[in-house]
Parts: sequence; C-alpha cells; structure tokens
Amino acid sequence: MLTLSCPSCGANVNFQSKASVFAVCSFCKGSLVRRGMDLDNIGQVSELIDDLTPIQIGTTGMYKEQKFEVVGRIKVGYDGGFWNEWFCIFADEKIAWLAEAQGFYAVCFPCFDMVPPVGKFHPGKAVDFGKHGIYEVEDIRKVKCLYSEGELPFNALQGRKSESIDLSGFEDEMATIELADKENRVFLGSYIDFDQLQFKNLRRIDGW
Amino acid sequence: MAGKNEPGNTEPDNNEPGNNEPDNIASKSDKPDGIGYPLPLEKEPKPAKPTAKMFACTACGASITIKYPGAAMAVVCNSCNSTIDVTSEAYRILSTYVGKTTFFKPDIPLGARGKLKGKTWEVIGYLVREASDYFWSEYLLFNPYYGYRWLVEDKGYWNFVTTIKRKPDTISINRYPVKGQLAKLDGKSYQIYNYGNAKVKYVLGEFYWRVMVGSSALTADYIDPPRMLSAEKDDNEVVWSLAEYMDADEIHKAFKVESKFPFQSGVPATKPPTELQASAKIGFLCTVFCIFITCAQVYFTADAPQSQLLRYDGIFTPNQKKADITTPVFTVTGGPTNIVIDLTAPVNNSWFYVGGEMVNDEDGTSYPFEKSVEYYCGSDSDGFWSEGSTRAQLGVSSVPSGKYYLNIDTESGDFRQARDDQYTITVSSGYAIYDNYWWTLLALILVPIYAFIAMRSVESSRWSNSDFSPYPDPSVYIGSDD
Repeated sequence: MLTLSCPSCGANVNFQSKASVFAVCSFCKGSLVRRGMDLDNIGQVSELIDDLTPIQIGTTGMYKEQKFEVVGRIKVGYDGGFWNEWFCIFADEKIAWLAEAQGFYAVCFPCFDMVPPVGKFHPGKAVDFGKHGIYEVEDIRKVKCLYSEGELPFNALQGRKSESIDLSGFEDEMATIELADKENRVFLGSYIDFDQLQFKNLRRIDGW
Repeated sequence: MAGKNEPGNTEPDNNEPGNNEPDNIASKSDKPDGIGYPLPLEKEPKPAKPTAKMFACTACGASITIKYPGAAMAVVCNSCNSTIDVTSEAYRILSTYVGKTTFFKPDIPLGARGKLKGKTWEVIGYLVREASDYFWSEYLLFNPYYGYRWLVEDKGYWNFVTTIKRKPDTISINRYPVKGQLAKLDGKSYQIYNYGNAKVKYVLGEFYWRVMVGSSALTADYIDPPRMLSAEKDDNEVVWSLAEYMDADEIHKAFKVESKFPFQSGVPATKPPTELQASAKIGFLCTVFCIFITCAQVYFTADAPQSQLLRYDGIFTPNQKKADITTPVFTVTGGPTNIVIDLTAPVNNSWFYVGGEMVNDEDGTSYPFEKSVEYYCGSDSDGFWSEGSTRAQLGVSSVPSGKYYLNIDTESGDFRQARDDQYTITVSSGYAIYDNYWWTLLALILVPIYAFIAMRSVESSRWSNSDFSPYPDPSVYIGSDD
C-alpha cells in the first residue's frame, strides 16, 4: 500500500491498489490525481444527501469464495435515478466493481481482452461478446458523476460525463459498456443476492 | 445462520427496529480492525444519518416530509395529493390529483414495519392501479439493505412481489399474446393470464421513480400458481417481477394492522394449487391401486383351480311349479372358496326359474339363492331381435369346505309345448368372482372423478378474471358483465 499526503491539508491518502490513479481526500474532500508519487488537487467533492447505501469504504465481502474490500466509490446519476459503483480489490490485487442500485448488487470485472463493440445501440439489440457470450442491451443512459470517494482507477471528478449501456446475459449475467471521453470499457459480471455477498463492516443506517 | 447475522432483521423478541445490532454492521464506536479501511488521521467516515427532509409543497404550500431523501425521487403531498419530483431543485410537480382523496385508503398504514420472509420491511408508498375499470392496490416496501419489494392486494388476496433481473424466456410482450402462451423462468413454465394497460389512479408516500397519477404501463402476467411472473413496460424499459401468494393473516399480523383487511372474494390468480395437486395425487394413487387390485385379481383367479362338484339334470313340466327337489350331496374342498351355480334350461320365448338354497349337510348352514333364465326373440320392422339367454350363473362367495346339497323349487312359464323337458344345474368351485373387483374399481374411480370436478371448479374460477382462460367462459351463458 502506498501512503501519500494530501497536497491541500496534509492528511494521509492511501492507495491500496496499483490501479488507482485518483483519490478523494477523506478529510478535505479534495479530488486528487496521482502521478507517480505526486498528488495534484484538481477539484473538490461536495457532500451529498444520504442515499441509504449500506456499503461504505472498508466494507468487505465474498465473491466466489474470495474476499474483497471496498476501497472507493463513484456515484452516478441519470435522469431517472442513480446508482453506486464501488471499487473493490481482492487479496490478489485483482480489481472489481460492485454495482449497487435499489437493493440490487452486481459484481463485475473489467474485461481487458475485448475491444468494446462499436456502432449504434438500442434496447433489445443483441451484442456478441465472442467467447463471453451474447448479451442483450437493456438500457442506455447518459450519466454524470455525482460523488466520489476513496481511491479510484480513473479521474472521477464530480460532473464527469459518460454513457452507460447495461446488458443482460444468460440467467443472472450482466455486462456494462462504458463510453467515456477518452476510452470505452467493457465490464462483465453477474447479479448476486445481498446475503450471498456475506458483507462485513457495513455502514450503520439509523433506525435499521 | 439466517436471522441474527442479517442486517435489517428485527429480533423476534425485540421489535424496536432501532435497537437492532446485526453483526456485520460497523457500530458507531467501532475502530477500524486492521482488515478494514486504514483510516487517516483518526477520522472516521461519519455515519450519515438518514435525516428526514422537509419542504413546502409546490402545489399547495403544505409542509411535506421526505423520510428517505437520498432514495426517493418522488414524494406525494399529504394535503393535496400532488406528486412532487424531489430530485429537481424547484420541486417540480409531476402530477396533481383531483378528486376525493378519502376514497382510497391504504389498508397497511404508511410507515408501518413488518417482518416478511425473515426481513423487516417498511411501507413507504401506496399505489392504486386500474385496468379496464378493475382496481387493485400496491404497497411499496423498503429495506435499505435489500432494496424494494411490493405487496399487491387484489380482491382481498395478497402477493409478495420481487423485481428480478434475469429475463424469462418468452416472445416479446409487445405482441398480444395467444391463449396458453408461456414464459419460462428457472425451469418453470408460466401461462399467460392477463395482458393490458395498467394506469396509476392514486398515490401516497415516496417512490424511487417519478411516479405520476395517470401514467400507464403495458403489463403482462403469467401464472404458475402460487407464483406469477409479470412484465411491465413503460417508455424506457421492461421490468420483470416475480409474485408469490401470501396469506393475508400473515401480512396483517406482520404489520400489526388494527383495522380489518379487505374482504376476500373469488379465486385469486395465484391461489396455491392445492386442488390441482390433490387431484393429480389422488389420480395417481387410484391408478396405482387399480393396477394393484387388477394384478391381484389376475393372480388369484389364474391360480384358482376350477372343478365341477355337481351336475344335476332335472326334468320339468312346462308352465308348472315343482317344489322340494333335493340334489345329491357334493363336497366342497379347499374352502372357503367361491361357488358358482350354473343353470341351463331350453327356454325359447319362455322362462324358467329356480329358487332355493344350498345347504351344508353337516351343520345346516344355508345359502339361499334364486335365478331364472329367459329367452325371447322375434322379428319386427327392424328385423330380428332377441333378448335373454338359456343360461345363467350366480356366485356364492366364501363357502367353507364341507358336504352340501341343493334344495330347490322350479317354476316356468310361456312354454308353448307341454311335454317335459330337461334343465341342468351344475355347481363348480374355484371360479373367479369379478363382482367385488368391479365394485372396488368403480368406487376407486369415483374418488378421482370427484377430486377432478372440485379441481375444475376452483381452476375455472381462478381463470374467470382472465382473457386467456383454458376453461369455457361461464359468462357466455349468464351474460357478460364487462
């Protein structure tokens, strides 16, 4: 783990994953970009009203008998709602995303060995992911970063715009294509029940 | 493992949700434990409180409280019943409700918490929906760990509904379904039950989407009682959900509802298929039993040695009575056994009757019997006809071994000739008797027939609200009330 100092307030900023290039100072909420051993403050994250998520940075869970830990989050909003993408690292430094929306949880992994499909997408369109199977487009949403915290593998500034295409596969399988300014990425994963993830160190929600 | 470790659970003996301290939730005083997130500068992330938020209704000015501000997108004003978009800074009005606001009243009060399926749920929203003048109620349930569920009440019957992400295997719901159309999920087949547009008529509470009175969605319901698979399509997406029948009393108790729940009428779409299962089970058991007794019958009858014990040729005078004829003694062995008495007489447009008893020569036990043979024939405009036979048989069951004789009277009539003729009575043992077998079989068949009729009655009632009923429509005969 790498520990650097916040250029604004001097608080310790930890990087648990080598993949992380961005962090939000937990003390002053500065948006920090890491360049090697240097941190640059490029913005400020403003607080949001509680969205009642039970996950927090430090929450651990189990996926396929492997333990992961939540180290960062980006909350994105679209016209009809919002969801959270929690950045997770496994013990073997593998990275994953825990998507969380309205009580649904999905664990997905960046798919580096695949060129994101190109062309026009519309709900119902079948997309061939080669050896990963065929997925069907569920919805296409223009999203905006509403909030970020912890460490993240890209510059998750508040207001960052991207397009998110959700796809569903066989049974509980899902995929996401993210079309951002600089790069398009594909994530493959599956929906999992809350109980199956065996969370520990969840956030306390008053009254529950 | 279930229960204590699950968040959002209320201990059975501790119904204050606030006192709930599940193991996997970091308590306020918890210090990071090394495995967790290494916190800088001793500063813990603040356990943000879901503080209720208040604002003035954009439509009527009354104060509106948002209970779960981070999760809600639309909140309904308690005073004027307008739905307000709480994600817009201007608190945009989504829909206004005009009309009697006391007409629809939730049977479970908003804010009530109850434990269903092992988890605590809070009622946060209430919807009344309508399709072709048919109304039903929907209660939105919330638990911050498990998300949202629905309780749907229709004619006093309840379903617990969970939104699902996996997609059933079916043809597009955009097309009007054909009768019997199936949707498959998790290896189960669901049959089309309802299809149409459902409109929001009335709302209360807060919602995670921008609910609007008057908005409508295309819905398709498929049933495999006690479950129902539903698709709901609005402008943006198709959402699938799985409903399961839930006992009204269970819900009433769970939410500690004081007032009475709506009166139940009819047979709901998701009523557990007890009659169907019973009928199938009874049918199966009866088939097995029929096969069993048939095998037993064949086995025992095939095994039975048949032998003639007595042949008695008697002389009778036509159209006259003759009393007190006693046959020679015969011996029954291997008893108790079945005895068959066989009567043959040369009847031709006449009848012959034998009545009397079979008597045990040793202890006097008697087995009374009577039998007649008759045969008539002729021809008319339809040609030749005949009825009856010159031969008749009767059985006596469970006759013990011993010496027996017959003591009989004879009588006859309609004979045209007057000369004496001969009749024959034979007594045989070991004959197969099928009477009991057939009676048992008949009784056995009545049971599944009854169960089947009961099942049909319930199942056709279940489908009476459907446009896709596999049963004949009763309204065709009594006049449709649509």
